[in-house]
Amino acid sequence: MSSLFNDYQPGNFFDEVYSADMAGRPHYKALLGSIGSLTPSDYSALQKTVDAAFLRQGVTFTVYGDNKGTERIFPFDLMPRVIPQREWETVEAGLIQRITALNLFLDDIYHGQKILTDGVLPAELVLSASHYRPEFRGIKVPHGIYIHICGTDLVRDDKGDYYVLEDNGRCPSGASYMMENRNAMKRAFPEMLHSLPVRPVDEYGEMLRETLAHLAPPAVIDPVIVVLTPGIYNSAYFEHCYLAKQMGVPIVEGRDLIVRNDRVFMRTTKGLEQVHVIYRRIDDDFLDPLVFREDSLLGVPGIINAYRKGHVALANSIGTGVADDKAVYALVPKMIKYYLDQDPILPNVPTHLGIEPKECEYILENLENLVVKAVNESGGYGMLMGPSSTKEERSEFTRRIKANPRNYVAQPVLQLSRHPVFVDDHFEGRHVDLRPYVLYGDRVRVVPGGLTRVALKKGSLVVNSSQGGGSKDTWVLWEDRLDMPAETPTVP
Amino acid sequence: MLSRVADSIYWMARYVERAENFSRLLLSTQDLLLDAGVDGVDEAQFWQPILATTGDDEAYHALHQRVTGDDVTAFLALRADNPNSILNCIRAARENARTVRDQISNDIWECLNGLRLFVESDQGQEMHRTQSARFYERVLSRSYEFQGIADSTTPRGDSWHFLRLGTCLERADKMSRLLDTCSGLSLEMSPHRDARPLRWAALLRSCSARHSFQAYHGKPDPKKIIDYLLLDEALPRSVASCVAEVHSALVGLCGAGLGDKMSEPVRHAGRLHADLVYTTVEEVLEVGLHEFIDDLQTRLNQIGDSIFKTFVLNIEDLPELEVSEAESSSGLPLGAYHTDVNEEAQQQQQQQ
Repeated sequence: MSSLFNDYQPGNFFDEVYSADMAGRPHYKALLGSIGSLTPSDYSALQKTVDAAFLRQGVTFTVYGDNKGTERIFPFDLMPRVIPQREWETVEAGLIQRITALNLFLDDIYHGQKILTDGVLPAELVLSASHYRPEFRGIKVPHGIYIHICGTDLVRDDKGDYYVLEDNGRCPSGASYMMENRNAMKRAFPEMLHSLPVRPVDEYGEMLRETLAHLAPPAVIDPVIVVLTPGIYNSAYFEHCYLAKQMGVPIVEGRDLIVRNDRVFMRTTKGLEQVHVIYRRIDDDFLDPLVFREDSLLGVPGIINAYRKGHVALANSIGTGVADDKAVYALVPKMIKYYLDQDPILPNVPTHLGIEPKECEYILENLENLVVKAVNESGGYGMLMGPSSTKEERSEFTRRIKANPRNYVAQPVLQLSRHPVFVDDHFEGRHVDLRPYVLYGDRVRVVPGGLTRVALKKGSLVVNSSQGGGSKDTWVLWEDRLDMPAETPTVP
Repeated sequence: MLSRVADSIYWMARYVERAENFSRLLLSTQDLLLDAGVDGVDEAQFWQPILATTGDDEAYHALHQRVTGDDVTAFLALRADNPNSILNCIRAARENARTVRDQISNDIWECLNGLRLFVESDQGQEMHRTQSARFYERVLSRSYEFQGIADSTTPRGDSWHFLRLGTCLERADKMSRLLDTCSGLSLEMSPHRDARPLRWAALLRSCSARHSFQAYHGKPDPKKIIDYLLLDEALPRSVASCVAEVHSALVGLCGAGLGDKMSEPVRHAGRLHADLVYTTVEEVLEVGLHEFIDDLQTRLNQIGDSIFKTFVLNIEDLPELEVSEAESSSGLPLGAYHTDVNEEAQQQQQQQ
């Protein structure tokens, strides 16, 4: 039978859809039947309709380096990525284990620092992380939670095993695209979503609101929650707005807030109104000109003191970036062992630390075979992809690593799993990762699925939107519809 | 409602109305020129008043020495460096909508986003070059669409009041400026049977009021036209109607109040409304149309200023709190988006 997938080549990689002998994996069976039966022009037409809707609705991100503030849609590939429920359960358990350990770690290093005094982690490495905030040590935060919203990046290697690539415990973005992608799929493939037991993601807004409400000062019964955005020029502004709307809370800029008597208020047409919980999408550095960067135009003078006094809660907390440092990342398995006495369910990608002289030597000798990363960069910046690098790039990195070994780590090049992506008029394999969203409130919850990011450039391993990445909807599929739990009751 | 949100909704509506007024003005002037014929007509005489209406006389003459149709239309329609061009008004309306997306209906947002995509597109630019009338009509119909959607999707509360304030104040401002362009013209009709009072007829068209005026009053008579556009509350675009609506929106926001309890914007708007209701066109002409409009403009600005002071700047009614050292707010001005963007703030937003 003719199928859109007839000429598809899984290649020498772990393919999410096909095994090496071109047999479709069982959890993709229904999808391959439906999508495979479309003609290339039907498929293109569906894709164009979805793209046009995204542009019209302004589901976009802002492109920088261009003073016109050009907005683009985040390229979206219609064929969803499917994860069977049983596989998902392992991922979920691994993510919950990890965020639990990370929160215990942050609480520890901002208080007694037992993990350092016990000699489990090297103090000079942890305390030299540039996002460590010594001025925050000894401050009590609500319920001892530091990371409330986490967007962990997962990848699969050539055997299909899951690894954690990054934790993203500061201001992870992308949850809005996860929800909008699902909405687009409901328009494009209603029958498929109707007939398959796909777990819903649209509860994220409500879950996020509950997570935030949990942080409110204890005496407050009906807390005022806001989303704090840097403003409309931020690349993720669409997302800030979207999440605020999903939660039904105001979106504010720094200039809308004012601190009086160590309490935070927003300026309204009827005077000042107190704010209790702030989902802030502004980095620590810009949050309060009285404490961090003085030249910040985006922050709120005095907000940190209000937080210290417990009159307002911030999510995520201050100084969580220490866990995002790529050298500290390498130590997470030790944290899991130390705090939980467990082995990691989701392993780390093996990581060489520049700060260890022997490993540094290894890194410098094997640059061609490694991925080198600066510890504080994200978004695919400050990286050396060894195998595709030029001699000049390698000698530049050699110089940088020698000048500041603490600032660099290296990992083997993972052959990330691939997924079919529609290119012109047929499917080709492209590398993908997965960013699930973990919420830590009165309990830890993981949204089933997440954002599957795709490196759209042929052969590229970099999935970031700033580097030509796109996304896919992610379907966590119950094996049997009868097993699927009844809908979670919604709060009126 | 957040003060910034109120100001953004207000300016969103103002900018849409401004783009609509400019489009209609350009369209009616083009039509007028077609009626006047080309022979012996001094083009500048038709385009100069437009610059006066939009208040861009100075900015235009900084760029051009002579007043020509092509230059004026290009300047007012699509020039990116004219903050008041139709293009920039639509951009500003859309950016303000974007800052309050969570507060307005998706339909309002998609309408303004679609309009901006159109005026910035190659197709839009090409349409303006080759069939400018179609371009203006497109902007006009999108603006009507905006009014309709806003009317049928906005809950009757603060959002609605600020939206109407923006629309009606802008409309009153542009109406009065338009009238002012005719203030130097003779009020006497030419005795000649074929004489066509082109400028007065164009004025009616620029206000979408030609047919309703004819149905009411028949032959265009300057005095009646002034009465109609300025003082007649039956016409929804008349200055008196706009001010009446501004007044009722403000009462909706602050309550009517009496004596000390009356808020400043309500006081200004109510007083101006009463003056318009109890003034006759003869009295207007006695003062002089231009002088009357001058005073009107001052008072409209006064209402706009007091709205900003009351709803955006106002932090007087604070609960009694100890003022800490962190009294000051961040370094950015309060309120809505305007084209003069603070580049440093923009950069910082992008660093996040």
